[in-house]
Amino acid sequence: MTQPSLVFLHALGASHREWDGVRADLSDIDGIALDLPGFGERKGEGYADVAAMADDLAGEIRRRRLTACILVGHSMGGKIATIVAARAAAGEVGLAGVVGVVLVAASPPCPEPMDEDRREQMIGWVADGAIGRADAETFVDANTATPLPEPLREKAIADVRRSSREAWLGWLERGSLEDWRARVGRVSIPALIVAGAEDGDLGEAAQRAHNLPHYPHAEVRSVEGAAHLIPYEQPQALARLIRAHVAAVASSALPAAFVAILGSDRVSRRTRTAMLERTRPVADAPAGWTAAERAIAAQLVAHILPEVEDMDGLAARVERAVNQGQGDGWRFAELPADAEAWTRGLATLDAVSGGFVALDHDAQANWLERIAEGQGGATDDERHLSPAQMVLWFQDVRAEIVRQWVALPATMAAIGYDGFAVGGDGPRKQGYSRTAATDVETWQQVRETMA
Amino acid sequence: MSRAPYSHQEMVDAVVIGTGAGGAPLTARLAKAGLSVVALEAGRSFAPNDHVADELAADIYWMEERLSGGADPTAFGSNNSGMGVGGSTLHWGAFCPRPDARDLQLKSLTGQGADWPIPHAELIAYVEEVEAFTGVSGPADYPWDARRRYAYPPVPRNASADAMARGCEAMGITATDAPAALVSRDRDQPYWGQRQACVNCGTCHQGCRNAAKTSMDTSYLPFAVAHGAEVRSQARVLSFDLDHEGQITGVVYHQGGEERRQRCRAVFLCAGGVESPRLLLNLGLANSSGQVGRNFMAHVATQVWGRFDDEMRMNRGYPSSLITEDMMRPAEAGCAGGYLIQSLGVLPVNLATQLARGAGMWGTRLQSLLRQYNHMAGIGINGECLPHPDNRLTLSDETDAFGHRKARIDFSYHDNERAIDRHSRQVMTAIWEAAGAKDIFAIDRSAHTIGTCRMGGNGDEAVVDADGRSFDIANLWICDNSIFPSALAANPALTIMALSLRTADRFLALSKARAA
Ligand SMILES: Cc1cc2nc3c(=O)[nH]c(=O)nc-3n(C[C@H](O)[C@H](O)[C@H](O)COP(=O)(O)OP(=O)(O)OC[C@H]3O[C@@H](n4cnc5c(N)ncnc54)[C@H](O)[C@@H]3O)c2cc1C
Ligand code: SF4
Repeated sequence: MTQPSLVFLHALGASHREWDGVRADLSDIDGIALDLPGFGERKGEGYADVAAMADDLAGEIRRRRLTACILVGHSMGGKIATIVAARAAAGEVGLAGVVGVVLVAASPPCPEPMDEDRREQMIGWVADGAIGRADAETFVDANTATPLPEPLREKAIADVRRSSREAWLGWLERGSLEDWRARVGRVSIPALIVAGAEDGDLGEAAQRAHNLPHYPHAEVRSVEGAAHLIPYEQPQALARLIRAHVAAVASSALPAAFVAILGSDRVSRRTRTAMLERTRPVADAPAGWTAAERAIAAQLVAHILPEVEDMDGLAARVERAVNQGQGDGWRFAELPADAEAWTRGLATLDAVSGGFVALDHDAQANWLERIAEGQGGATDDERHLSPAQMVLWFQDVRAEIVRQWVALPATMAAIGYDGFAVGGDGPRKQGYSRTAATDVETWQQVRETMA
Repeated sequence: MSRAPYSHQEMVDAVVIGTGAGGAPLTARLAKAGLSVVALEAGRSFAPNDHVADELAADIYWMEERLSGGADPTAFGSNNSGMGVGGSTLHWGAFCPRPDARDLQLKSLTGQGADWPIPHAELIAYVEEVEAFTGVSGPADYPWDARRRYAYPPVPRNASADAMARGCEAMGITATDAPAALVSRDRDQPYWGQRQACVNCGTCHQGCRNAAKTSMDTSYLPFAVAHGAEVRSQARVLSFDLDHEGQITGVVYHQGGEERRQRCRAVFLCAGGVESPRLLLNLGLANSSGQVGRNFMAHVATQVWGRFDDEMRMNRGYPSSLITEDMMRPAEAGCAGGYLIQSLGVLPVNLATQLARGAGMWGTRLQSLLRQYNHMAGIGINGECLPHPDNRLTLSDETDAFGHRKARIDFSYHDNERAIDRHSRQVMTAIWEAAGAKDIFAIDRSAHTIGTCRMGGNGDEAVVDADGRSFDIANLWICDNSIFPSALAANPALTIMALSLRTADRFLALSKARAA
């Protein structure tokens, strides 16, 4: 399994150094902490607007050829992370490796809720040029639940003073007020949204109201003993949350060589989007089945495709396809509509076998053989399917389960399939110049990384 | 003469329903002749660049539910019809053998099936016209027809084709590069633009992104529009207005959430082998023969698969790049006609569902075969099916979103189809053994939707006459896969396009005669 790396983005008036404490606790995970234009070591670059900062981050991901990464954005950096995640989810070239997002007291895509007096005050700090020491102290102290211990406090204050005047003003007067909601839309990449329990404008309520709606696969966590400068205030607690998110999304990360092809211009944006969408978890309640039905379906997966590890995940995809999909254009005339056929089929299987899930593997296999041969079914009850119907239903079961499995990018990677990497969006379409057996082109690298 | 866009009040010369292989060529022909033509298409309009090289995301299929019954139910959806401006030619495989002369006289020669009321030479003249207009790639010499020439050289063979060539040679079977309705060199398509040479990408069934493949939206339809026709997409035809003599005066359709009607002098129903009969049955029209929906035929499309030591990667290359016509009249096979064999290149989801359905697999064997996708290759047939009284399209009690009853198609193999299936399994297994395949197995499969509004000489036995005109409604013409009197072994689309041009010519000749 590929371990995703972390890309850290700092807040207004900070730099990559704000992540030192968090990263010390995550030293076993690859990571980079960036300075955004106008801050830290890039102070000299002055103001870059939100779009330019997002381009900067996207460029960095491409330059470093990141094939599995999680964007971790604090406050201002969170808005940038969300914008780039949205671009990745929409299939942009070179960003196929963005597999997760962590928002830390993040500024949302909508205009940031900020007390106007405070905004004016902060703008006033740079009226005469650089931010003075007293103002920087005020900023740091106002954003922490309790004063930071030294030397952390000193470090935070120094970073505030290292901000370029243009960048400071640009964010407060423009960037934080820009409305990106429509362009961000819904981002299917799994997200962890972290709030400081004692934060003000960007606390948990604001996170739920303004960031959560953009992420269908997100979890919100609140960190005690922290206000807005969580990376400084509670680095260990934050590192623990980030570590858990890394573990949660790691299973969706694809082999590096596969992502390199998927992210390349050989793949059209529509194809890439469709494939990436399939790497995301199925929403919590796919709607349709009871827990008992789900358990039987997962057991069916285990029989149809014995090597699949995440039986529940695949069963959830089947559940969604059966209950919400538009169908595949036809069904057996002898069966009721798909959703009903599945409910009745699962019930019949359970009834004839006297409780399918509790049986051992061989006994279950035995029942499936019998059903395929037309010897398992019930004609007495209209909630069930007859033996003849069960034969057809079991055909549907097999077809739907393999269809969902084979369509997963992880499966394509495992079988060394690269047929999606044709017909990109350029004026001349890519295909294959070699079509004979064993004659593999150099770009078809996938197989080399696979067992 | 008025010009497109036409108003609803205007009495246009013709409304064409459906823009696939049957509807598009005649739309072009009628427009060229100066007629005012409106084509109504239920599906959306696509640019080649819109197509997605992904089996689940491709959105060019007719996905409204059909009910499949009988002993050998046939699959629909992505297996059988398209929806969109261009119809099934958006996703067809572009394998385009010509119809065999013997198949058009099946009844006379074998006593079974039906004869076509059209001379082979006449049909072939239209086939050649379609080939010239759309651009077909094929071998320099066609072993079963010395006179035949193709405009473009064949595309490179894929690994399955090489294996099939090997196997056929060992068995003394002649095989050659398949005629493919695609351009192997850049071509400027009149009134459309540059169709770029095939890049061997293997995703024909998901839609060709560089317009190399013949598709109506990049060939006949732009020609039609340039000559004054109007194509309305997402326009779903639901019924007709009739006058007291039973002639159609207007076509009623659903578009943009409202009901609209287009007045017209003639209607060409080209909605395909399922939707054309379904519409007529729902409306209770043009069926005094009782033949609408009957004679449903699907090609026997058995496949044989195997695993090779070599890495085949059969998704690479134009999928069906090799053909043999040696089995068009297999001796002692016990079937009336015969079958064509082609090499296959199938993408993973398609292969997986075929293994699960047609080969009845699951468990370790299924999973390990799929894991070895890159080592698998197959060959398949297109076998002539005979009509049978049990095989027909009827209406189910369930209705669709428009209140029309859904189609139910019952299909079962009978002796002829079973004979083809049996014979072809043996032949293909032998070819695959000779080619070096291991772990060989067969998949049951049928394809295409043929014959449900058959053409014939008299109104008691057929729905349309030899010109494609309804026996019951004088200004209704039908042209698509449904009018085939017999299935033919050749895959249908080329013949449908040829018939479409012919239908237009017959219509124009008749109008001229009437005017004179
Ligand atoms: C996967 C696949 C591969 C194939 N490969 C080949 C091949 O290699 N070679 C070959 O010769 N053939 C092939 N075929 C078959 C070929 O595509 C069809 O036989 C042919 O396109 C049928 O033409 P048609 O005019 O009858 O219908 P279609 O081309 O399907 O056109 C019918 C059109 O009518 C529209 N329509 C339907 N109802 C309505 C309504 N009520 N109102 C408005 N519009 C309506 C539909 O949306 C559709 O666009 C293949 C088919 C499939 C599914
Ligand atoms: S193989 Fe050739 S004809 Fe088929 S989709 Fe690709 S480019 Fe088009």
